[in-house]
Amino acid sequence: MANPYKILIIDDNEEILNVLYNFFRKKKYDVASASNGLDGLKLFEAEKDGFDLVITDLVMPNISGVAIITIVKRKYPDMPVIAITGWGEHPEALAIESHADLVFKKPFELPELDKAITDLLSKKKAKDLS
Amino acid sequence: MGPTLIGTSKNIIRIKELIKHVAGTGLNIVISGETGVGKEVIAQKLYESSPRKGKPFIKINCAALPEGLLESELFGYERGAFTGAERKKRGKFKIAHEGVLFLDEIGDMSISLQSKLLHVLQSGEFAPLGSEKEIRTDTWVIAATNHDLEQDLKNGKFREDLYYRLNIIKIHISPLRERVEDIPLLIEYYIKIYNSQFVSKNLIKPNKNIMEKLLSYHWPGNVRQLQNVLKRSIVLNDWEKIIGEFSTSIDNAKKDSITSKLPPEKFTPVADFINFEGENSPDLASFSLKKIRKNITDKVEKEAISYVLGKTGWNRSNAAKILKISYKTLLYKISDLNIAPPQ
Repeated sequence: MANPYKILIIDDNEEILNVLYNFFRKKKYDVASASNGLDGLKLFEAEKDGFDLVITDLVMPNISGVAIITIVKRKYPDMPVIAITGWGEHPEALAIESHADLVFKKPFELPELDKAITDLLSKKKAKDLS
Repeated sequence: MGPTLIGTSKNIIRIKELIKHVAGTGLNIVISGETGVGKEVIAQKLYESSPRKGKPFIKINCAALPEGLLESELFGYERGAFTGAERKKRGKFKIAHEGVLFLDEIGDMSISLQSKLLHVLQSGEFAPLGSEKEIRTDTWVIAATNHDLEQDLKNGKFREDLYYRLNIIKIHISPLRERVEDIPLLIEYYIKIYNSQFVSKNLIKPNKNIMEKLLSYHWPGNVRQLQNVLKRSIVLNDWEKIIGEFSTSIDNAKKDSITSKLPPEKFTPVADFINFEGENSPDLASFSLKKIRKNITDKVEKEAISYVLGKTGWNRSNAAKILKISYKTLLYKISDLNIAPPQ
């Protein structure tokens, strides 16, 4: 059965981006990906019906993940956003301050991320229905 | 009309796109780039493209003021806060409320002031000197620097927490020499502006030959330097003269860029030879092949002798044997060529 959820993944590390992209494609998600903040933001703005969930790296050239989270949450406060980071406490604190739903520290296990996404999406669905 | 961003290089096109997407967000921005690339132009462009247009745009240069003065400029003070504070002074954070505060040369801010800035960015509040009451401020902070902040971070000259809080959005402007395709457009743009400013003058566009020279120059002062050259050209109304004035530096710059790519230890004599030639113009009277030969020989001998002395642990008689010269000659060479043992 096709997975109806659309997710956006942004990471400037192409290797991680590819792994995430392929993993969630296999899980039948509708995946869009970008390797920097500006391209990610453009995809986000161009998607008419919006995404169901956004995964973003934090420290990136031009537009950082913190900026992405802030912009996404201003427009859609209920859209789940997961931050992934390998840069220590400061970016992490900023991600939480900008209301990221979850922060994953690199390296992490893909099934854990997968489970977190399933939980966030089902919570959102329950909220949308209520 | 706001400032115009001139250029069709990838870097400038990307910056234009960035401005379009982030000007409305009010998120902290750091603009980086060498001196003279136009960091303030980008800051103004961001302001003009934002909903804050029409509100104050306040600029302060963090490198131009001593620490104490910069602090009182940023946060202001109450009457009687210190000796000489006869009147209350509003800080830039107060004046820039609802507008933009452009912090130029942020990399030169002292560590202690950095922590005060961090406090404002975290809380949106600040207290003027001598006041216990915090004032709320809604200021969009755009910072600029020609420093490599990542390097300053490693050297402990820039606070890590402030770095991440400011670098929510990064805009890097490439130096002019890396976006040569923008030079003709900039020239055309500024000639038009300056021709209208200097009424009696009318500078024509540079011809192909002159343009080639302008394109091959390395422009260490970037767009600001280009502007100055164009202003001078308009006043003198003579391209040939202007080009003549800095063609020596064009040639030297080219040679510098050639020699700097070579491993220095292997090519020192060649590089010196080129410099020697450059220094000699326009006074050809002192030019002599003999001099050049001597210069090169000295350099090579100095390097060879130093190398051998280094290998022998400065054992001169061993070194003389290896070099196949007499002990006396070696001593003479050491003194003549100014060869010193390592410290």
